[in-house]
Amino acid sequence: MYQGKVVFNIKEADNIYLLGIEAPKKILKSFKPGQFLKIKIDKRFDPLIPRPFSIHAIDENILYILYQVVGKGTKALSEIKKGEIIEFLGPLGKPFPKIKNYIICAGGIGIAGFGFLLQKSVNKKDFYPPEKIFYGAKTKNELVRLPFLKKFGIPIKLSTDDGSKGYKGLITDMVEKELKKNPQIILACGPQPMLKKIAELGEKYKVKTYLVMETFLACGIGFCMGCVIPSKKGNYLHLCIDGPTFLAEEIDLGFLS
Amino acid sequence: MDFSVNLGLLKLKTPLMLASGTWGLGENLDKFFSLKEIRENIGALVTKGISINPRKGNPPPRLFETPCGLINFIGVENPGIKEFKKSFLPKIKKFGIPVIVNLYGEKIEEFLELAKDLKKEKVAGLELNISCPNVEKGGIYFSYDPKIVSELVRKVRKVWERFLAVKLSPVGPVYEIAEICEKSGADAIVVANTYPALAVISLKPFKILQGGLSGPAIKPLTLRLVYEISKKIKIPVIGCGGIISGKDALEYLLSGAKAFQIGTTNLIDPRSAIKIMRELKEFKNGLCDKSDTC
Ligand SMILES: Cc1cc2nc3c(=O)[nH]c(=O)nc-3n(C[C@H](O)[C@H](O)[C@H](O)COP(=O)(O)OP(=O)(O)OC[C@H]3O[C@@H](n4cnc5c(N)ncnc54)[C@H](O)[C@@H]3O)c2cc1C
Ligand SMILES: Cc1cc2nc3c(=O)[nH]c(=O)nc-3n(C[C@H](O)[C@H](O)[C@H](O)COP(=O)(O)O)c2cc1C
Ligand code: FES
Repeated sequence: MYQGKVVFNIKEADNIYLLGIEAPKKILKSFKPGQFLKIKIDKRFDPLIPRPFSIHAIDENILYILYQVVGKGTKALSEIKKGEIIEFLGPLGKPFPKIKNYIICAGGIGIAGFGFLLQKSVNKKDFYPPEKIFYGAKTKNELVRLPFLKKFGIPIKLSTDDGSKGYKGLITDMVEKELKKNPQIILACGPQPMLKKIAELGEKYKVKTYLVMETFLACGIGFCMGCVIPSKKGNYLHLCIDGPTFLAEEIDLGFLS
Repeated sequence: MDFSVNLGLLKLKTPLMLASGTWGLGENLDKFFSLKEIRENIGALVTKGISINPRKGNPPPRLFETPCGLINFIGVENPGIKEFKKSFLPKIKKFGIPVIVNLYGEKIEEFLELAKDLKKEKVAGLELNISCPNVEKGGIYFSYDPKIVSELVRKVRKVWERFLAVKLSPVGPVYEIAEICEKSGADAIVVANTYPALAVISLKPFKILQGGLSGPAIKPLTLRLVYEISKKIKIPVIGCGGIISGKDALEYLLSGAKAFQIGTTNLIDPRSAIKIMRELKEFKNGLCDKSDTC
């Protein structure tokens, strides 16, 4: 585990926070978009297992994590103060695939990991920028980090369930409209119903579809075999080794609720 | 400071062993430790449970966290003995620490076949996981049936001359089983595996996860078992349950364990072994100053 100093932990919206951790550049250099890290949240063993988070951005020696409070671990994380030291392990998992001519679809906090992809695709060397970003949330307040995302000059299509900003309705409706006009590769991260819909759209419009999946993780490094995703072949893939990004056609989404 | 322990047929450089299922098959040890660190801190590596045929394990969810604990429902996912010998054993042998293979069988015959299959391999010992369902007895766990455990240990003992440990379940006729293992020729017992537990993962619809509970939550329970069992038998007791610090490890050693295994803590931090050994040394030093107990 590495140690980092919390330089800020600020509220972006109700229940959404941006955490900045200062860590040696040498360590941060090894992080690639799509990978994640595990953060040890409490020293008194409750929560016991460090929680996984995507890398939202890296600026020099600051690592950014964008997270939503959903349970006791993320609640405790939101209470960590500037100046405190936290321990983390990473980079974990595989980077995003190196694809061109694709669109991003993000639902809610699913946007978190794409910030780093945008940063790393500016020079079009290892990663390429998406053609468009589709980003949906419940309401206007939960569409976070827009000024940062807009900096990269990529068209962003927004939607909210209540119509308070952008298109009123589901982001997948907008993605479908786009695919009808211009079928292209999809890279998606978000809630389970969104991922299921995206997988259907990928099949319908015959485009390669990548889904960033989630499970409860323990080790994050292939020791415990706890993080399985059923594959279409009938065996199990391991999120922390084979993922978190998977080709939709390879996984059996039947296990999602 | 000399930390070596004598477990009869097995001598360990330190009392710390990596518990089954919490370091995979051990092939990645050198990703997280230097060779020197491995040899100086890790007394032995116990592999994930190995079965005759590959097992793909249970469907998700396989994990659920509880206060200070973790419930797992992995289902002994492993590549099977053939693949283990071919692709994993050559690598883990190179670390230069004793390798103990944890065996998973659903019939006595399966344990025997596995033990025979490993005779020619350079492994230091076997650990029999008796928290497995016995399919010949309608799926009742071996650990509930003293007669079957006696037969199992005797038969494996006949074909296996090196170190042989039995890993007890913490539930069932535990004390009786411990004594039977000793009588049947085991060199040591590991106390203990995870506790049968249940988590409600969703209220509506009502969904549960049944599995084995590990982690700090179980430490006081297993510590009691170690204390009681080590008074009853003469063969070494290896403590295992909820160790996360050097102090926890010392508590086990002072309660009667000759050595200890660490499990869940490896999932929190893969370098836990180093931290625990460092703390144990510091604690031992501290205690030696105050009394003559170490
Ligand atoms: C690779 C990866 C990257 C991630 N990146 C981010 C990110 O960048 N930002 C972000 O905000 N989140 C991210 N997440 C999700 C984040 O890890 C979780 O939200 C966090 O771990 C929740 O912890 P908690 O203690 O707050 O909630 P918990 O108390 O652990 O639980 C949250 C919810 O999940 C349920 N739950 C827990 N375990 C199970 C189980 N086994 N089966 C069914 N239900 C269960 C609980 O009942 C509860 O409703 C990522 C997850 C993964 C796997
Ligand atoms: C993810 C996981 C997998 C495990 N797999 C095995 C196994 O294959 N065979 C076995 O005998 N014990 C297995 N165990 C039990 C541990 O080896 C250990 O006995 C138990 O977790 C208690 O110790 P701990 O509290 O330090 O984790 C497993 C435990 C965990 C958490
Ligand atoms: S989280 Fe342990 S193997 Fe993936």
